[in-house]
Amino acid sequence: MSNQVRKSVILREEEAGQWVQSGMTIAIGEPAPMGLLRWVVRNKVTDLTVIGSGLALDYLVAAGCVRKVITYYAGSPDIAVMPAFRSEVENGTLEVWECEEGILTSGLEAAGKGLPFMPWRGGVGTSLPDINTDLKVMCDPIGGEVLIAVPSINIDITLLHASISDSYGNVQHCRGTGWLDLFLYRAAERVIVQVEKIVSNEEIRSKPWETTISNADGVVLLPYGAHPFYSRGYYVQDQEHILNYLDAIKVAYTKSNRNEKDDYFEKYCNRFHSHAEYLDALGAGHLISLSEY
Amino acid sequence: MSSPATIKELMAVVLARELEDGDHLQVGVALPVPEVAVRLAHIMHGPNMQLIFLGARMNVHHLESIPLPDFGWDSRSVRWAESYSDRGHRFDQVKDWHKRVFFVGGLQVDKFGNINLIGVGNDPKKLKFRGPASVGTPTLTTHVGRYYIVLNNHSSRVLVPKCDYVSAVGWHKGGSDSRKELGIPGGGPKLCVTPLCVMDFTDVEKRMRLVSLHPGVTLGEVKANTGFELVIPDIVPTTAMPTHDELTILRSRIDLNGLLRSG
Repeated sequence: MSNQVRKSVILREEEAGQWVQSGMTIAIGEPAPMGLLRWVVRNKVTDLTVIGSGLALDYLVAAGCVRKVITYYAGSPDIAVMPAFRSEVENGTLEVWECEEGILTSGLEAAGKGLPFMPWRGGVGTSLPDINTDLKVMCDPIGGEVLIAVPSINIDITLLHASISDSYGNVQHCRGTGWLDLFLYRAAERVIVQVEKIVSNEEIRSKPWETTISNADGVVLLPYGAHPFYSRGYYVQDQEHILNYLDAIKVAYTKSNRNEKDDYFEKYCNRFHSHAEYLDALGAGHLISLSEY
Repeated sequence: MSSPATIKELMAVVLARELEDGDHLQVGVALPVPEVAVRLAHIMHGPNMQLIFLGARMNVHHLESIPLPDFGWDSRSVRWAESYSDRGHRFDQVKDWHKRVFFVGGLQVDKFGNINLIGVGNDPKKLKFRGPASVGTPTLTTHVGRYYIVLNNHSSRVLVPKCDYVSAVGWHKGGSDSRKELGIPGGGPKLCVTPLCVMDFTDVEKRMRLVSLHPGVTLGEVKANTGFELVIPDIVPTTAMPTHDELTILRSRIDLNGLLRSG
């Protein structure tokens, strides 16, 4: 009896990377858990269905990991439509589960609540149910209104970035979660959270109301793991790096110069055997320059 | 003062004048003209306005200056907010969205203000041009009290007889009852503002109608660049240029880097 101990869920980064297998449905929170995504790329995982948006989604598409995307937005303030996403869809090589924010959250809620569908009004009268035939136009059985039935969106693994966790998967975000994070957590079979810092259980218990995710299935220590994106309370986004990435991917897709893309992934992902090597290459001075405020 | 207003600055001022104190103003990403417009209205006549960006809700009327962020996704752009993501879920209080005003762009817009952000081409599985997708616009345009269509360019490729796909319903197939018939509660699109002109929608048919031409733009130019027949009233005034005050505040307290002065 006395030798029974509570189980730690801390994973080594390469272990966490192994959880994501080709063909799975994964979801990416906000800010994107880039340290984990770099493992997905490095492991040459393919045929994923990915729930995500913007740059991080495009990153996995460009790396060749994705067969299908479930997305409400593949643009950014810097570029109207993400280059890899745009090109692959126009070539017919990437499938899109067409949706929007309210439809996506409805499908995720259905999954979390164990329901076959949730009704939603946004999208009534649009082409969304024509393009995405999983969405069914329905008649509300109470008042006879026309609504859209959104089927549950089930996720094998949700990958998130947060501020801190203890070794038991009690996660606390700094200054709030990404807006979809908790939907993605509740809809998933398993969730892995990469954190800036692993803290004691006592620290978590000193402010339990700040726990955003309980019982994460895996926790990985990846400081600066959201780079090139921000992590509230720690660092801001690396604008220069993001623009470099976009340039490389744009050249790769618009001028069919695939070397640009391969070079980017080699330079910033594939050649490293650990997150620490990635941070070494960025340099301590550069990382410090990204400190928040 | 310095150089005259650019077209983008003029568009921002047109929108700012439309906004009323107490409005809840939601602007999506990558829409600099409305981002400037809501800040200008907030400073000039909107002490009770709420500005909503990326889920952050703010009232910063007391500030001397409300600059645009240097970078669209700067997480610090929420630092003056009073709340973030409306307590966890952006869409849990759509019943109150009649107070909310929204701004939306489009790859294609038809004469009833229906919008396409999905893409262009016959085969949705292999689009000729893939757009950025619908974001939250189907839900927002369904529920908000009113919204404004803001276009970066006015051409017959954008203002089309029929959208290839509709991601946000305006006045559907026309008629002031058209939204009601679909069961869509919001007030629908109010204006469409482009680099050439301002347009609204007729009362009964809800067809797009010319309201004013920007300085130097001719009626012929608008007609030639619109892919459907616009309703043209007998008298079409010139869009009123920004006042000295409007332009000074816009440039010195909001658009510090001259985003709307370039291009």
